[in-house]
Amino acid sequence: MGNMKIKVKSKSGVAKAKVMAKHIMLPYEAAKKKGVDANFITLLTGKVGDKVVFEISPSQFVSKNPLFKFQFKTEGMKAGDKLEMSWTDLSGKTVTEDKKIKGL
Amino acid sequence: MNRRKFLGLGLAAAAVLPTAINAVDFRKTKPDTWTAHKVEDGIKGLFGDIKAEASDKIKLKTPKVASNGGAIPINIKTDIDAKTVAVFQDVNPESTVAVFSVPEGGIVDYGMKIKMKGSGKITIIVEDRAGKFHSKVNELEVALGGCEG
Repeated sequence: MGNMKIKVKSKSGVAKAKVMAKHIMLPYEAAKKKGVDANFITLLTGKVGDKVVFEISPSQFVSKNPLFKFQFKTEGMKAGDKLEMSWTDLSGKTVTEDKKIKGL
Repeated sequence: MNRRKFLGLGLAAAAVLPTAINAVDFRKTKPDTWTAHKVEDGIKGLFGDIKAEASDKIKLKTPKVASNGGAIPINIKTDIDAKTVAVFQDVNPESTVAVFSVPEGGIVDYGMKIKMKGSGKITIIVEDRAGKFHSKVNELEVALGGCEG
């Protein structure tokens, strides 16, 4: 635990989320200069239960330790529900963390 | 890994077929978009030969001058019933920055920080659920170029 900072708060049927993942997001050009493999998050998804509420395929051009802001409707969600964030990177590593949605 | 079938995007080589693919497959089924240098090729690699209409309905917020090219904050907002939102720019070695898959009934109000090597244009393409494409382009200056953060 502890790779991602997840803040998610619901109000009037809409939840606003801020997720920051710790990741080097090293582009190919920079990696070559350093003599290491490029590595960056290639997929980040957010789920509440079975429902996908956020999905992005970033590239090497998304900033280091990327911060994503997004929103979703909370219809059907109830107190105690968690936002589960999961990312995969070029090396195949996957990290999944979750946080209870405030305000539900 | 998310196996939900939400999207209807065709394969890069063939015509547009509404088979559901989730975002991670973009890397496998649309390799051309990630290696494309020019924005038009990035768009073609992802969506095929499409015509996007410039749209007022896409609100793209970018700084006029970005002080740090390694972390440029952008915000994309639209009421269009979007299925896919793709971000491109024209100064980095490859043009495609990110692709969002919008879940059914999702809200498009995205914020994130991107890298740009220098001043240039950011292009957003929104594919709506009716299969139409909308675009928005913002030009911005970058004070300190940053492809390597």
